[in-house]
Amino acid sequence: MNKTILGYVPEESPIYNTHPATRILFLLIVSLFPMFISAPEWNLLLVVLILILMRYSRIDFSILKLYVPVAVSMGSIILLSYTVFAGNHPEFHELARVLGIRIYYERILDAITVYFRILPMIFIMIYFLSTSRERDIIVAMRSLRIPYAVTYLVAMALRAVGMVIEDFSIVRQAEQARGFDPVGKSIFYKMRKFVMYIIPLFALALRRADEFANALIARGYSFTGLLSNPKRADYVLTHYQAHYWDYLISFVLIVMLVALVVMRYGLGMLSLEGSLTEQLLRAWLLN
Amino acid sequence: MSDATMSAEQSAEEVWAVEEGEERSVGVIHIVITALLIGIGAVVGAFGSFTLPLGFGVNFFWPAIAVQNVGSIWFGAWGVIAAALFPIISNGVAGTPVYVSLAYIPANAVQAFLPAWAFRQFKGDPRLRKGRDWAIFLISITLGNIFGAFWGPMVVLKSFGLLTTDSLPLFIWGWFAGNEIAGIVFGVILLKALSGVVIRSRAFVKKWFA
Repeated sequence: MNKTILGYVPEESPIYNTHPATRILFLLIVSLFPMFISAPEWNLLLVVLILILMRYSRIDFSILKLYVPVAVSMGSIILLSYTVFAGNHPEFHELARVLGIRIYYERILDAITVYFRILPMIFIMIYFLSTSRERDIIVAMRSLRIPYAVTYLVAMALRAVGMVIEDFSIVRQAEQARGFDPVGKSIFYKMRKFVMYIIPLFALALRRADEFANALIARGYSFTGLLSNPKRADYVLTHYQAHYWDYLISFVLIVMLVALVVMRYGLGMLSLEGSLTEQLLRAWLLN
Repeated sequence: MSDATMSAEQSAEEVWAVEEGEERSVGVIHIVITALLIGIGAVVGAFGSFTLPLGFGVNFFWPAIAVQNVGSIWFGAWGVIAAALFPIISNGVAGTPVYVSLAYIPANAVQAFLPAWAFRQFKGDPRLRKGRDWAIFLISITLGNIFGAFWGPMVVLKSFGLLTTDSLPLFIWGWFAGNEIAGIVFGVILLKALSGVVIRSRAFVKKWFA
């Protein structure tokens, strides 16, 4: 199993046949797709395609449970933002009035449009984080000729995230060993007690900074050395090779992006007006 | 004289003053501290993003603001760089789209830059010894949070078409309150608890980079 940023993915997952730079390109380009699509059904289709891709990549779907509260929270907030906090608009079709708040058909349609625009972006991010290991991001950055100092900083930062999570777990266990038990307590209690984690985390990080820096200096690293792109032993020893399908995927992604821009702004397609969602909602709420 | 006694006797001016013959230069330690700040910020920020999310990386309670404020006061530009970058990771883990996270960079950078600048400009003591130090801290983080609260919802979320004009105040207040309360509570505790140690460490940045 490969440990990725969000979980574990089998080593034989087909996603690892692609070059890490292709996966970064996928994140950056496909995240743009929903911005050119207003019709919710097309964005929903994009979500379904990403789910299929997740299944194909053998990602454990239980990771999605973590994001259910986020998706529900975002959906609720968008809906509130577009209904309760949307103000008075006599030009819109009023559907109902709840406690003096006017609910408009156009605002509900807008909320659905926005929600279904943001949803694929979340799924793309989950897909990327579920399949990417720290080393993939570093390799991708090196392939893109990003300066050594920047790549090294990102590598250390990603490693630091893992270390802080371990530290967090150690601190939590230490607190529990001393009788601290937040189970069943309110969220405000937990937030207040968060200080018991943040100070040890900082203190550990400060101590570790010295150890880290000393270790690097002992290996001949210097700030100027970091900046001047010297040849150094690479701690990522696996050699990645871009295959023809990497170029093909990259090319297809770029073509799809251009096609979407043309469809949206040249041909007026993928817009909300006349979309299936709009027709269904209009039939349901207005007729 | 022990380091601790020296530190206790250092005035706020002395904390920031570069002594005659003292050479300060950018070193590996600063790269390391930036990386570690990104690590702490990403974990603490993700915690906030999952606790009370308003959506799109805006939270009613975001303890990572303390990492931005305190990190930049102690480590200058390195803290600002970390503050600008770690929300990309923490927001990403919490499901915020990558382009929204990237667009937040100016807000996060300013939230970190203002306290760093204020403490250096007005020679505030990071150990918060006097009322003046408290005022510098509170005013600088408040101004930073005001900027962030306007930039995040008004510039980023509005331009992405994620909010209506009428719902902007909820997000502006959500961002401001979520950052301000956590920033004051955790920022003060961190500064009081750890500044004495940090200003004696070689990672401490008196100017902007060293």
